[in-house]
Amino acid sequence: MSSLRSDQFRLFITLILIAALAIGCSVAASNDVYFGRVVPPPGQILRYVTGDEIESLDPQVGTGQPDARIYAALYEGLVEYDPKNSQPIPAIAESWEINADWSEYIFHLRKNARWSNGKPITAKDFVYTFQRGVSPKLASRNAYLAYYIKYSEAYNTGGSFVRDSQTNEYVLEKDVLEGADKKDEAATDQPPAEAENSAADAEKHKRLHTPARLVLPADEKERAALLKDNPKIEGAIAGKVIEPVKPEDIGVEEVDPYTVRITLKQSARFFLGLMAHQFFRVVPGEAIEKYGKDWTEPANIVTSGPFKLKERILYDRTVVEKDPMYWDAAAVRLNRIIFYPVRDNNTIMNLYKVGEIEAFLNHTVPPGWIDYMRPLKDYMGTPENGNDYYDFNCRRGPFTDKRLRKAFNMAIDKVTFAKWRKTVTPLTGFVPVGIFPGYPNPKGDEFNPERARQLLAEAGYPVTKDGNGNYSCPKFPIAEVEILYNPPSTNKQIAEFLQAQWKQNLGITVPLREMEFRTMLNVRAKGEYKGIARDAWGGDYMDPFTFLNLFYKGAENGSGWHDPEYDKLLDEANAQTDPQKRYELFAKAEAYMLEEQPVIPLDTPTVNWMKKPYVKGMYPNPLTLHPWKYVYIEYDQAKWDQGVPNMAE
Amino acid sequence: MLRFIIRRLLIMIPTVLIIITLTWGLIRLAPGNFYDSEKNIPEAIVKNIRAKYGLDQPWYVQYGRVIVRLFGFQYIPVRDENGKEVVGSNGQLVMKYEWHPYPDFGDSLKYEGQSVNRILATTLPVSITLGLLAYILAMIVGLITGTFAALKQNSKFDYASMAFAMLGISVPNFVLGPLLVLIFSLTLYWLPPARWGGFPSWNLLMPVLTLSALYMAYIARLTRSGMLEVLRADYVRTARAKGLSEKQVIFRHVMRGGLLPVISFSGPALAYLITGTVVVEQIFALPGLGNFFLNANLSRDEPLIIGIVAFLSLAILVFNLLVDIAYAFIDPRIRY
Repeated sequence: MSSLRSDQFRLFITLILIAALAIGCSVAASNDVYFGRVVPPPGQILRYVTGDEIESLDPQVGTGQPDARIYAALYEGLVEYDPKNSQPIPAIAESWEINADWSEYIFHLRKNARWSNGKPITAKDFVYTFQRGVSPKLASRNAYLAYYIKYSEAYNTGGSFVRDSQTNEYVLEKDVLEGADKKDEAATDQPPAEAENSAADAEKHKRLHTPARLVLPADEKERAALLKDNPKIEGAIAGKVIEPVKPEDIGVEEVDPYTVRITLKQSARFFLGLMAHQFFRVVPGEAIEKYGKDWTEPANIVTSGPFKLKERILYDRTVVEKDPMYWDAAAVRLNRIIFYPVRDNNTIMNLYKVGEIEAFLNHTVPPGWIDYMRPLKDYMGTPENGNDYYDFNCRRGPFTDKRLRKAFNMAIDKVTFAKWRKTVTPLTGFVPVGIFPGYPNPKGDEFNPERARQLLAEAGYPVTKDGNGNYSCPKFPIAEVEILYNPPSTNKQIAEFLQAQWKQNLGITVPLREMEFRTMLNVRAKGEYKGIARDAWGGDYMDPFTFLNLFYKGAENGSGWHDPEYDKLLDEANAQTDPQKRYELFAKAEAYMLEEQPVIPLDTPTVNWMKKPYVKGMYPNPLTLHPWKYVYIEYDQAKWDQGVPNMAE
Repeated sequence: MLRFIIRRLLIMIPTVLIIITLTWGLIRLAPGNFYDSEKNIPEAIVKNIRAKYGLDQPWYVQYGRVIVRLFGFQYIPVRDENGKEVVGSNGQLVMKYEWHPYPDFGDSLKYEGQSVNRILATTLPVSITLGLLAYILAMIVGLITGTFAALKQNSKFDYASMAFAMLGISVPNFVLGPLLVLIFSLTLYWLPPARWGGFPSWNLLMPVLTLSALYMAYIARLTRSGMLEVLRADYVRTARAKGLSEKQVIFRHVMRGGLLPVISFSGPALAYLITGTVVVEQIFALPGLGNFFLNANLSRDEPLIIGIVAFLSLAILVFNLLVDIAYAFIDPRIRY
């Protein structure tokens, strides 16, 4: 028996030593300049981890950021994201004109843009792309992004116009809906943007510039509700023809083969930036109509971007190659990009360390590694176009009382929170700080536990202090409140931080509740959670409206908070032509919302990713979307990036 | 024997159908939909999505569609004479059934345009390669170690190998995998830390070792205890008494009886090795079945879940049948 013990013991010690040695080796390297191996791969090849496997190679179907990064290689739109600040820059459109109130956009396409099969890309292709995007058949989850375009929502939702069969006149919104004419003014009274009108398109153009037609919803219930609210409609539509909205009716026209005009239903300044979104990148009508859902197969696919598809193996790799047909092929420097789908963050870090990949997606360096990584010269940590927050349930439960919402928000020390989290900057407002130059971010309520306790007392829940300096709030209905969050464990740690703050500052211990992601989404959207739920937002485009829009009328948000006054402020802002004035009005709306405190803002995350120093032309931009044509491998060590590349140049 | 096999094969059909029905029901019960995401999408778009995937149909139509597909009726878009897909009055594609001589699980909801059949066809080779290699490794190392440990009972070799086996059983693969990566990739830079490199490749070494460690240990222990029991049995004593050489005694008599527990363990083990690679596939980012299974569940991808469950249940049933057949050959007491 004794020999067994000593054998086991020796074995155990040996294993411990091996483990200690291994860990020792990796820690001892702490005076490294970069993380792991730094050997550029020959032949201008970039290997990139874009996150989990993407949903589809169809840019109008896939909704995720991992998808968007692959689409950026394969497809191009009217405009592209600037590699440094994510603002729109010319792509297939070489120039554009916008009318005074930002409701009509004319894009001039370059004449040398080609598909990967060599055929020219023309205005027809864009008309097809936009019509397809909002077609009910495609059922794209991103279709709502195009709802700013006139009648595209009506087409997407199966709505109908009402036409008088005798006069061929359509029933107009302003004649039957209360307050409709005002909304319409912006889009119609402004002079159209300059464009040489050909006779052929003049008719449609005129049609788009008449006041908005009435659209009847396809849904029986909605239609009934509309009729009930507006008794005038019933009379106006009696005896007239109900005509379903057709794809041709949406506000996208081919003016000539190289000019596209887009008419919006409202003024939208951010619309240009939105045109770089994956959903609006041009797709090949010919291949799609021919192959149906199989058009993205490597044998069938036709693409419009700087790279073309070479190979795709689900959950293994997607390989793209420089496309010689691309209009700017001479400027494209990478020969090949290999996208690896990897879900596990530690695995991504391992691949990066041994030099099997050159760079990876945002939010990937695990919290425990940050202190080691941050000083390294290949770590990227600038703020991004997103925020983290918690919703208050404004629909039911104790947090329908605004004083309680304000008290719970004021009891969180966000500066300490950000220090502890390491990869975030504190946020007291809602729109992320440091992303939109010139935007006067409203402050929101600062950390103020004294005032928080006062507010609780005003709401009828006095906070008392015992001899040891601990607070308690015995009257608070603790059974009606929970902190709802989803895995992974980092979210749990954040929830625990909030819990500790409220216990310490208010004497209230709010129970935690973990819920699987999709289950939580459902519960949160329906407002069926108790009190407080985790939430976050990543902007769709580079404008504060992508955040403020969450609480705008009709939009769903986890808190369920809406306010007509807030909607009015946003409408006012969006009608502004002066950009600074518009920002100021946005800030006013945001301040109004913060005063109501439907959410607990926590932080603006930083991008938190890494790239090898020899990868050039790739920047920590706010969207973490990289126009790959600017990226290349630098083999001359003297020209490598030392730290975050210069973003101002 | 043949009748036994046929009967077992026939019973598999209702068994798999019941499993699929239960799975289908459980997916319905799980809250959330495949199209849910952090961004709330308007109700109208949800309606379009539900119409596109037939989720607006009554439950029995949806269930029926799953079942008839299993019997080879594919549900595909109607095309006109020009080969263009026909769109109906509701704005959705017009569909029809068409029979093919193999089961069809439909298209994945999460991975648009990818059929479940194809996902199975591309991921299975990966999972089978991993599983089989791990199985072979576990068998070779386990059997040899176990046999020697039994023959040299209470020797240093016996203690050392059984200690190792204990370690193999008690160290979970999500610890062993990263530990191997830490040593052989991140520190020594000998082996790639992750990803699929085809067969054969160095990429396979660590995943296979991680996967087989537990089974190796189990088989070693089972072999040892099985052999020890048989070594003391009367018929072994008889064999020795009638003057057979030690080699003959071990290979003809001891092995045959001693390996029975190993065989009953090895059938399901092979099934689990091929199907239960979720953790290892995750750690090493391998494009196998497990990765898809996990993701399909998280993303409520009904056709993919049903396809994988159908395959897994069939695999386990078949391996169990194979074990039962093997029994009949090895154990003279068993006859069907």
